[in-house]
Amino acid sequence: MDFLSPVIDGFGVAFTPANLLYCLLGVTLGMLVGVLPGLGPAATIAVLLPITYNIEPTAAIIMLAGIFYGAQYGGTITSVLLRLPGEASSVVTALDGHEMAKRGRGGAALGIAAIGSFLGGTVAIIALTLVAPLVAEVALDFGPAEYTMLALLGILMVSTLGTGSVPKSLLMATVGLLLATVGQDPLQGTARLAFGSDELLDGIDFVIVAMGLFGVAEILHNLESLRRRSGRPKAVGSVYPSRTDLRESRGAISRGSVIGFVLGILPGGGATMSSMVAYAVEKKATKKPEEFGKGAIQGVAGPETANNAAATSSFIPLLSLGIPANATMAVMFGALMLQGITPGPLLVKEKPDLFWGVVNSMYIGNLLLLAMSLPLIGIFVRVLRVRPAILASLTILVTMIGVYTVRTNVFDMFLVIGLGAVGYLMKKVGFEPGPLVLAFVLGGILEASFRRSMRTFDGDLTGFLTQPIAASLLAVILIVAALPPLRALHRRRTTKEAALP
Amino acid sequence: MRVLPRKAHGHAGAFLTAGTALVLAAASACSVQGGGSDDGGGKYPSRAVEFTVPTEPGGSTDLITRALVKSIEKPLGGQAVVVNKPGANGKIAGKDVFSSKPDGHRVAVMPQSLFAVGPLVVKDPDAIKLEDMTFVKGLSVEDYVLTVPASSKVKSLKDLLGSKRVRYGTTGAGTGSQLSQALLFGKAKVPSTAIPFDGGGPLVTAVLGGKVDVGAMHVAEVVKHIEAGKLRPLVVFATKRVEALPNVPTATESGHAIVVDQRRFVAAPAGLPDDVRDKLAGAIDKAVASGEYGQVLKQSYIGRWEVDGTEVARQLTKSRDDFAAMTKTLGIDLAAQ
Repeated sequence: MDFLSPVIDGFGVAFTPANLLYCLLGVTLGMLVGVLPGLGPAATIAVLLPITYNIEPTAAIIMLAGIFYGAQYGGTITSVLLRLPGEASSVVTALDGHEMAKRGRGGAALGIAAIGSFLGGTVAIIALTLVAPLVAEVALDFGPAEYTMLALLGILMVSTLGTGSVPKSLLMATVGLLLATVGQDPLQGTARLAFGSDELLDGIDFVIVAMGLFGVAEILHNLESLRRRSGRPKAVGSVYPSRTDLRESRGAISRGSVIGFVLGILPGGGATMSSMVAYAVEKKATKKPEEFGKGAIQGVAGPETANNAAATSSFIPLLSLGIPANATMAVMFGALMLQGITPGPLLVKEKPDLFWGVVNSMYIGNLLLLAMSLPLIGIFVRVLRVRPAILASLTILVTMIGVYTVRTNVFDMFLVIGLGAVGYLMKKVGFEPGPLVLAFVLGGILEASFRRSMRTFDGDLTGFLTQPIAASLLAVILIVAALPPLRALHRRRTTKEAALP
Repeated sequence: MRVLPRKAHGHAGAFLTAGTALVLAAASACSVQGGGSDDGGGKYPSRAVEFTVPTEPGGSTDLITRALVKSIEKPLGGQAVVVNKPGANGKIAGKDVFSSKPDGHRVAVMPQSLFAVGPLVVKDPDAIKLEDMTFVKGLSVEDYVLTVPASSKVKSLKDLLGSKRVRYGTTGAGTGSQLSQALLFGKAKVPSTAIPFDGGGPLVTAVLGGKVDVGAMHVAEVVKHIEAGKLRPLVVFATKRVEALPNVPTATESGHAIVVDQRRFVAAPAGLPDDVRDKLAGAIDKAVASGEYGQVLKQSYIGRWEVDGTEVARQLTKSRDDFAAMTKTLGIDLAAQ
């Protein structure tokens, strides 16, 4: 049991009063920035870097980690209540979460999200403790070829994710892929579709697209319907999910934990991708796919569990290899370096206090978040009692401030307004922005990874088949692609048989 | 086109307003003693001096700038803040700062690669020119080390150059990582393919995972992996051996005279009055002498390059011309890679 003794010592570190306080501070801050669209955990952690300089390293990282996973809890709230994702990782939650809110079940959505987040987070910490050294080896096997396949799989799922018709979803996904090509060529750095503008040269920021198409478009759409129905939102209902809700979400939470944990470890994966994959998986797993997009509780439980699990597991590559898996982890890397600690393979051995102190503080942080978020949801729900006209203008204002602070760029504000108008028109003619936004995210990864693979394979497409993981993923893609037509065929045949005497 | 990880990087700017306010608040406390004794550079600084970092927070430019700013307020006799303005490899920040009034209140910490390597990759008529800047002070130098995964059959540079074909990973287009390897394989006439990654972190992952044959990255990014026995260093592209890797020969020692490094310097808009420049340079001298700053450099394996403005200009011009000449002689077209 020698292996466990540093783990237990880590609890001693996590439970010191100062570290408990920093943990509480971190998760509270995280929840707050999660609620505010535009202000993400990466930004918040970066803001706090100068302060952490004077704090003891373990306490500093405990607090910063708290902000990160705390934000995953907070991001859900605006997603569900306003369909304005507080974080990119809560985008898919908006699909069904907001539908639940519209049907007066917003409380249940938030409640199940909090419970799922807690369970996902906790499962991920336990798994992190056990497999951190082993998993690092697996993560390294993911290179350009594997990422190409992952992104392809994601885009394939995108086309079944849309609530609208498949052709419309595919069209939207294509537009998303096209938008993703704006800016510098990812490999050669030459300008593409920038039209001589330095602002466009850097590409369109994901936040801008999401805020425009989801946020502003939704607000505009809501304003239009104001005159027709009374603006007062329906009752939110109890935040404690019913027994039926819990039973229906059980599978989603278990699957979400696993998906989130696995995808969080992969470099470049992280909370957002895992929530998207979890949503797609739930949509496939359910016996009632027609409920998706109309307030299916699994569509909230799965992604929310997954993003929290991923937030936790993305610490594995950082702490065990010194490789930040995503942007937030990159800032965390900076925080560690600032403290004079270079995260890497030697960290666990050389600084067990720090490693296990941080890991174990996450149990406490998750408990704190669960304890806080259920009662606090009531406070956030009150936001909905404000008159829609006021709320809409306020939300636009907050969105615009958020957009500006992303890159301190006025141009981005015009982009958001423009995209908002486009999104509004799209909604009017029955095009859902979801597939566009998702394809936009995956487009960049797909292109860069595919072109890297092609260079590695000397332009030979069969090169993908020589990579075991990539080839397996390709097989999964084929199966996923073949399933819906097969199922449809099967259904047609059974109905035909049933119709025959 | 922004891939997911970079999106959140974009968030980085989000704290600008908040961050500035925060640093200002902290700064106002520190600068009380310094404020009165300010006679040296006329009325400069009359307000907070902004140090613009052309990258997201977390990178080495950000790291050294923050360390510098922390120690500079006392010798400068005024407040100093860090502003991150990432985008277009530093062009966005440069265009912004170098078109502002040359009064010393807005300066930027710029990388050599933007001026010496960038033009070889992308022909941009609108690029920042050396004439657009007043060089205040050099800051740092970071060397590149060529590494292969520990599992690789390649044990030395000779092995590598004896390969039939090399797939080399770079930290991106227009970086010293790309240039150094392109020059090496170009000179040795080894058929090679460049595979650009999105910065040092992803490249290190790719090399560790054996997804590319070899890669060149900053020493700080790989020291731990080398110590842990996961990566094997072959050469450094420096003039002399690197302190952190004393057993690794330079490329020059190995018979390939290629020196490519990354240098960072403080620059102000062109036309900065001499007295303001001298005052700022003097304050930087004092700040970089602080123990705290030294500690940050040491922990991040960043070397010192604290030369004056004239030397910065000379070095930039020399690198730019040398690199252009070398690629031309060897017939290497970085833009076509």
